[in-house]
Amino acid sequence: MFELTNQLIDSAALRARLARPEAGALVVFEGWVRNHHAGRPVSRLEYEAFDELARLEGDAITSETQEEHPGCTVLCVHRTGSLGIGELAVWIGVASPHRHAAFLACRQVIEEIKRRLPVWKKEHHSGNLAEWVNCTTEATANRLGAENYYERQTSLPEVGAAGQTALAAASVLVVGVGGLGCPAALYLATSGVGRLTLADAGRVEVSNLHRQILFTADDVGAAKATVAAARLRAQNPLVRIEAHAADVTPANVRALVTGRTVVLDCTDNFATRFLLHDACRFAGVPLVSAAVYRFEGELNIFQPHATGCLHCVWSGRPAGELEAVANCAGAPVFAPAVGVLGLMQAAETLKIILGLADPAAARQSRLVNLLDGSMQSIERLADPSCPVCGNPVASPSAKSGPLDASPLVLTAEQLVALGPVQTIALLEPGETLDAVTASAHTIAVPMGDLVRIRELAAQGPTVLTCRHGLRSVALARLLRVEGNRRIYALPGSTSTIRPSGVSSGQGSGRNG
Amino acid sequence: MAKSRSLHIRFFAVLREQAGVSELEFPTDAHTPSELYAELRAERGLVFPAALLRVAINEKYATMGTPLQAGDRVVFIPPVAGG
Repeated sequence: MFELTNQLIDSAALRARLARPEAGALVVFEGWVRNHHAGRPVSRLEYEAFDELARLEGDAITSETQEEHPGCTVLCVHRTGSLGIGELAVWIGVASPHRHAAFLACRQVIEEIKRRLPVWKKEHHSGNLAEWVNCTTEATANRLGAENYYERQTSLPEVGAAGQTALAAASVLVVGVGGLGCPAALYLATSGVGRLTLADAGRVEVSNLHRQILFTADDVGAAKATVAAARLRAQNPLVRIEAHAADVTPANVRALVTGRTVVLDCTDNFATRFLLHDACRFAGVPLVSAAVYRFEGELNIFQPHATGCLHCVWSGRPAGELEAVANCAGAPVFAPAVGVLGLMQAAETLKIILGLADPAAARQSRLVNLLDGSMQSIERLADPSCPVCGNPVASPSAKSGPLDASPLVLTAEQLVALGPVQTIALLEPGETLDAVTASAHTIAVPMGDLVRIRELAAQGPTVLTCRHGLRSVALARLLRVEGNRRIYALPGSTSTIRPSGVSSGQGSGRNG
Repeated sequence: MAKSRSLHIRFFAVLREQAGVSELEFPTDAHTPSELYAELRAERGLVFPAALLRVAINEKYATMGTPLQAGDRVVFIPPVAGG
């Protein structure tokens, strides 16, 4: 059911209207009026609707969603009129017997509303400035025309129309919008990378301006990611630029890197560097990393399945220890050094997307010295006993028990020899644990729920499995690095985990 | 020469501001919304690019090439921004 109103939305009353005995979940989305957009302050929003059609379309959206997600009851209310900061612009509630469908349905309703509900909003800025959202940048994009914008690039035989399409389809995350991230992101945006996300929790400082070229003196004090995103949207309105003006943390890193074509490490600290490196490896995403010291810089490309990873380079030293000797905050830096390295990151990223990357480069550290003008490539150390990228047979140490010497990836015989163990089946969305073939000691956990996996794994010897047998090994390695000595993985794919809806014969699947 | 038919046109958001009115009885020879918009651009000073518009005829989404009938209620829809 869909309603338009020019009155305040009462979410509690709407929630009550969805109460029903068969519902086991309620997913609510609230769209609020925020005080900024595209890097500019917003004082209020004015919503205007084509009433008759909006009601028809709104009803169509909610009933289509209910048909696609049987069991879901959808209620959606959209405001019109003048709304202040913090006011509720849209409320969507989906009640359902199960949470999974409710989340999907709720998401579908808001995306459809944004696509087709004939509602417009005018954004009021300070003074008398105001503009209709989507009507100015869209118009600009139309005027520019992608063909003209990229003409001098698509005429390169190595790029061409196909290459430009690949760039438009790419999704790139840039972590750290500083000396490296600014030039890297600028060139990725102008080259037409279709979706670019800029992550940085920092604010612009005066001492940033000599090298962080997306910022001007007027930006001091503003959030770096937000300012940079606005600047890049102006530079190329044809691509989608998103700002993540917050830290990259163990809690959000997986969501940020998963599904990316390439991730750029433009950070200045080892904690984030290791976090990104491990998350990219786990998600199967190439990482293009750079670091600068005074007049010199180093570029590394970490492919997810290659040996010679960041842990090999630093041979297992904890991030905190490295931080103490290499803290970049306040360190002297020659501005062109971060510029050159940032642009090299952009170049390597574009080459990966375009299929022009040299595989050998992914095993090397490229060292650049702007003082003597030299550049050299050095083969990275690949430690065969590296717990992350090697195939370690850990040597028993004074502290470790007998299990410590056992390999990470178990053969069937080794699994039996281990005695009673719990098995954690890592499920991606849309996968199901087969009730027939799964053993009684198998616990199904969503792949992304690292907190729960760590908890369970801490209770005793644990074997990880997943549908294809790749991510379970990667995750087991990470847990070993974290210090869990009784974590193992089974190699290869398993028929115990199946895509939902595919029957294994007599057995019926059950959800985890 | 008299125009062949009259249409009822409503404007919203950016188009309403550019047209200076929210509705209009508009005598026209235009056969399609596309032709109609070209006439409106010339007559009412609309600058919004036609390529970005959708159109609704009698409260239903239609195409810019749908034939127009006398008395149709026509709304040009600029890029929406609900939510």
